[in-house]
Amino acid sequence: MTKIEEVKAKVEAGKAKLVPDLVQEALDGGNAAGDILQGMIDSMGVVGDKFSAGEIFVPEMLMAAKAMSKGVAVLKPLLTGTSTSSLGTCLIGTVQGDLHDIGKNLVSMMIESAGFKVIDLGVDVSTEKFINAIKENENVTLVACSGLLTTTLPAMKETVQSLKTSGLTGFKVIVGGAPVSQEMADEIGADGFAPDAGSAAVKAKELVSA
Amino acid sequence: MMLTKRQNLMETIKGGNPDRFVNQYEFMDIILEVPGKLMADPGTEFKNPWGITFRWPEGQLGQFPVHDEEHKVLKDITEWRKYVKAPVIETSDEAWAAAVAHANSVDRNEQFITAFVAPGVFEMCHHLMSMEDALMALYEEPEAMHELIEYLTEYELNYAKVLIDRLHPDAIFHHDDWGSQKSSFISPAMFEEFFLPAYKRIYSFYKANGIELIIHHSDSYAANLVPFMIEMGIDIWQGVMTTNNTPELIKKYGGQISFMGDIDSGVVDFPEWTPEIVAREVERACKNCGKLYFIPNLTQGLNFSSFPGVYDCASEAIDKTSKEMF
Repeated sequence: MTKIEEVKAKVEAGKAKLVPDLVQEALDGGNAAGDILQGMIDSMGVVGDKFSAGEIFVPEMLMAAKAMSKGVAVLKPLLTGTSTSSLGTCLIGTVQGDLHDIGKNLVSMMIESAGFKVIDLGVDVSTEKFINAIKENENVTLVACSGLLTTTLPAMKETVQSLKTSGLTGFKVIVGGAPVSQEMADEIGADGFAPDAGSAAVKAKELVSA
Repeated sequence: MMLTKRQNLMETIKGGNPDRFVNQYEFMDIILEVPGKLMADPGTEFKNPWGITFRWPEGQLGQFPVHDEEHKVLKDITEWRKYVKAPVIETSDEAWAAAVAHANSVDRNEQFITAFVAPGVFEMCHHLMSMEDALMALYEEPEAMHELIEYLTEYELNYAKVLIDRLHPDAIFHHDDWGSQKSSFISPAMFEEFFLPAYKRIYSFYKANGIELIIHHSDSYAANLVPFMIEMGIDIWQGVMTTNNTPELIKKYGGQISFMGDIDSGVVDFPEWTPEIVAREVERACKNCGKLYFIPNLTQGLNFSSFPGVYDCASEAIDKTSKEMF
C-alpha cells in the first residue's frame, strides 16, 4: 500500500488521530501536497456514497471529515498560493424561519471535503443575507439552501426565486432537507437537489463542473 | 357492546378482535403535570435543572437546546463528571399534587394512566453536548460515553421510582428520538453497544414495577432498530414514519411490537392543511397497515397538532375509516 493509499484508508475509517502523521509521512516520502489532498477528497467521496447507501451513519461521516480536516491542516502551509478549494466558494444556510442545523452542517462538511471553500451563513438565513453574501464573497459558484420543516418550504421557494432573479450570476443553487424532493426543486427553479449529505457533495461537484 | 378504549387497544396489540381502529392517543391519559418544567414557552428561553438552555424562538414549532460555547453544558466528555450534575429529584407531596390529582381522576377501565418521560438517554447526551460532539464521542471517548450513559440511566431509574410511587401508572410514554426521517442517527451495532443496555434496564424496571405498557416515541426512521426495541421491552413504537415501510414492519414484527403512526405530521400538519389531505393519508395508512398491531396516528409526540384542527380532523377520519373497515 502506498502512503497515499494509507492516508485514504484511514480517512475513510475516520482515524483522526492517525491521519496527520500519515500525511506527514506521505509528504516526507516525496508525494505532492495536491496529490495527498486529492486522495483525501476521493476518500470523502467514498464516505459520502456509503452514507447515501445507508452503509454508514452520521458518526462515521463526522469522524471521516474530522480525519480529513486534521490531514488538511498538515497540508495547509504547503498549499498556500494554490487553493485548497478549486471548486470555488459555496454559501450554505438554512432558510428563513427554520432553525435546524444538523443536516445543514453535515452537508457543509461534505461539500467542503469535496473541494469547495464553504461559508456557513447559519440558520434562519434571509434572502437578503444570501444575496449580500454572494456580493461580498469571491468566486461564489454554489448556493446551498437547507430546510427541515414543511412550513419553511415557502421560504425556500422565495429564496431560490429571489436568487435566480437577482441579476447575480456565476453560481448554481442546490436545495435539500427532509421535505424537499426533486419535483419540488424543479418546481421552485433550483438547479439541483440532493436527498442526503453524501449525494449533496456529488451533486455540488456536478453542478459547478457543468 | 363496544370494547372500552383500553380493551380495544389490548385486542389490537395482542392480535385479538378489536372492534375499531385505536384512534390515535385515545387509550392514554397522559399525565404532564409532573414536577419540573419540560418546555420553554413560545418566544422564551429557560434553563432546565441540568443547566441545559432551551430556546423557543417566536414563530417556531418547538424548542431547541442551545449549544454555543457559552451555553453548552458538557464542554469536554473526558471530564463529564465535572460538568454534568444530576438534579435533585423532587419528591414532596406538594410538587406531585397536581399529577396525583390528575392520575386519580382517570378511569383505569377505560384508559391507561400514562406517565410522560422525556427526554431519553440519547437525547440527554446530545442536549448536554450537541449532536456532533455526542456522536463523535461515541468513537473517540467510548469509555467516557459509557460512563455518562450509565449516570443518565441511574438518574432515570431514580426518577422512575418516584414516578411509580406517586402515580402508579399503567403505561409509560417515553420520548427519545433515535433517527432522522430516513436513517437512524447511529448504526445498529453502536446502538446495541451504547443504548440497548441502558434501555433494557430502564424498561425492565418499569415492567417489574407494575407498568403494563411501554410506548416509545421516535418520530423518525428506525426500522433497523426494531429488533432492539423488542428486546428492551417496547410494546408500541409511536411516531413510526412512512419512510420505515410500516406495513412491512407489521408483517415482520406484529405480535412482538405494535406500530403507532404512519401518518407523517409534516405531510398533513402545515398552515395550508385541508381535511381532504388528512382523510387521504388516514385512509392510506389504515388500508395499508391493517387492523392488528397498528394504531393510526400523526407522528407528532403528543395528542395535538401544530396547526389547530388537524389532530381532530384526523381522529374523525379514523372513526370514519373504522366504520368502513370493521
